[in-house]
Amino acid sequence: MKKFLLICLLVVFVLPLAACGGNEEVSETTGDETVVEEVEEEEVEDQETEEEEVSAEPILIGSIQDLSGPAAEAGTANAWGVEYAVQYINDNGGINGRMLEVITFDCKNDLNEGINVYRKLVDEYEVAAIIGPPLSNPASGWVEISEEDEMPIVGHFMDEMCTTDPDTGEVYPYMFLAEPSCSTQSDIMAKFALEDLGLTSFATLYNTGNAFAVAHAKPFMDYVTANGGEIVAEETFTWADTDYSAQALKIVEQNPEAVFLSDYTNQASLAYDFLRDAGFEGVILGANTLSLPFPTLVKNDIYDVYFLQNYDMMNPEAGGYELFQTYMAEEGSEYPKGNVAFGWDAVHVLVAAMLQASDPTDGAELRDLLEQTDGVELAEGTITLDPATHRPSNMGMYIAEYDENDNISILTYIEP
Amino acid sequence: MALQLTINGISVGAIYALIAVGFAVVFNIMRFSNFAHGGMISACAFISFFFQRAIEPTPPLYVTIIFTALCGVIIAQIINTFGFHRIRKNNSPKLYYFLMSLTFAILIEQILTVFFGTNMYGFPSIFEHETFAVGPVIFKTMNMIILGVSIFMLVALILLIEKTKVGLAIRAVAIDSQTSRLMGINSNIIITTIFVIAGVLAGVAGVFLGVQYGVYPSLGPSMMLKGFIASIIGGLGSLRGAIFAAIGLGLIEIFFTYLLGATETTVIMFGILLGFLFIRPQGIAGKFTEDKI
Repeated sequence: MKKFLLICLLVVFVLPLAACGGNEEVSETTGDETVVEEVEEEEVEDQETEEEEVSAEPILIGSIQDLSGPAAEAGTANAWGVEYAVQYINDNGGINGRMLEVITFDCKNDLNEGINVYRKLVDEYEVAAIIGPPLSNPASGWVEISEEDEMPIVGHFMDEMCTTDPDTGEVYPYMFLAEPSCSTQSDIMAKFALEDLGLTSFATLYNTGNAFAVAHAKPFMDYVTANGGEIVAEETFTWADTDYSAQALKIVEQNPEAVFLSDYTNQASLAYDFLRDAGFEGVILGANTLSLPFPTLVKNDIYDVYFLQNYDMMNPEAGGYELFQTYMAEEGSEYPKGNVAFGWDAVHVLVAAMLQASDPTDGAELRDLLEQTDGVELAEGTITLDPATHRPSNMGMYIAEYDENDNISILTYIEP
Repeated sequence: MALQLTINGISVGAIYALIAVGFAVVFNIMRFSNFAHGGMISACAFISFFFQRAIEPTPPLYVTIIFTALCGVIIAQIINTFGFHRIRKNNSPKLYYFLMSLTFAILIEQILTVFFGTNMYGFPSIFEHETFAVGPVIFKTMNMIILGVSIFMLVALILLIEKTKVGLAIRAVAIDSQTSRLMGINSNIIITTIFVIAGVLAGVAGVFLGVQYGVYPSLGPSMMLKGFIASIIGGLGSLRGAIFAAIGLGLIEIFFTYLLGATETTVIMFGILLGFLFIRPQGIAGKFTEDKI
């Protein structure tokens, strides 16, 4: 019985294969001269077609985003922005006729995972460049290997350590930031608090386990103390903490005029409630993570809250409005997300360099061109990169607050 | 200030106690640490959140608690039936229970992540005033409710176990399941009862944690660590020990965070755990179970 089954299997699987192979052999072994000439002509045509295909081959770019983990909400919006921008570029002629193709990987806001997916994109897919995530943790692992691989990376990793060496101040040649850095953003907020609000005494409450939070809080404190203000309390929490009541009590005891909250939206909303519950009635300042959906997460009334915004997302007159509306419609999002425009912007910075390059897949050439980025149109405004830091030299931030209906209201735009 | 910190510490400890007792009650009978409890808490937090959103007008908190507790019981029974029952039937090693509980914990968290993402969902404000003041001390309304309900539930649980026939049977199975079976106690029913209790505790903890800290897939697992520490310090399997240790842990956390800072407090808490494991591995209650995993 077993033998019979084996023979049946052989008949079913081997015979069709033999038949296919036979066909190939026939075409290859034909001795007729005319046929040979035809074959030769076909080969020449094939070669020409292949050459055309090579030049028309899509340019592969990588996109490494936080699609899971604590920053997934930002990461998925970022990834959408990248893919939408690539589609837009392709619909408008691509890179001098060549289409862009994006391969997206999840780095889970993790340094090691970031390196793993980077290696995959560089070694297996041989991408021409990479669009990085909006977080610094994974990006910090690429600062040196990107130089070894001559792999340009454009992203929104705001921590300065992702673009310049914190010890020497030297720029990492292949890392490019497409929004104001953490310290620029914190300086803008501190400047607003000191000059526009006229505040002088501050406290900070931030997550020591989050590079984003630390990289915002420290420059804020430095700016305040360097410009006549005072930090009366510096309180922290960690990822493992869920109760910040002790920190809030300590801050209330010091009676600052304002507290600078620095962490992602989830933790910042908790911190806000703990501060208000502890009796703090002063001003709350924060990064762009105090944007939507912050009002849906807090339980206390929102008042005297000022935070940073990269884009004027609710303004129909602003350049990025249509992009945000498209995202909301396509993804069913209840509110606009700045990360959508981050993805869009990073692609446009890269594309501007690719359009000028003689070979848009040459990392070294792209690097040189990226360094010269000047006045490239973004979702809102333009970007000019400082060759010494690879960070924007011209981009400021909006200061926003919530109105009585918890809608975002833009107050002012502050230059760096 | 000391009084305010004490109030806050006891409130935090009450939440840890709910988690720790959920641990202890299963360990008491089954002799393993049920890490799936964290996943159950997360699932219950999501259920309570969507229950509140789906019903118009928004149901009162006690209705949400009862509904979620019932859902917690169902989830616990599903885990027991499809996970632990088979291991028990096959008389498999204790390690399998541990692995199964860990698998369910991760599975639940990942299912929640697939459906709801890692975003936090915030319960709307339930009270007109989030806090009220008595003299210089500010009381958080939700904290007081958590404290009251936790005390009520834990006292009821202790009375159930120490003063009723069901409790006697539970204790008998906990001491020696085989002899109990010979005495006519159906250990399967007792284990089902234990998972009913654990499900109720997970349901109530899920509502409270969700209201207090927001709802997200890793909510339960992230709080499990503190509950686990409390159950070890309290003496694995001891309900009273777990409650005392949880309250103590809450007080230590709040006082040390105030005095030294959050980072240092985490080190201190693990130092205390390590100290207990070295000096008094049987925990506060003095009960020591060799089979613990």
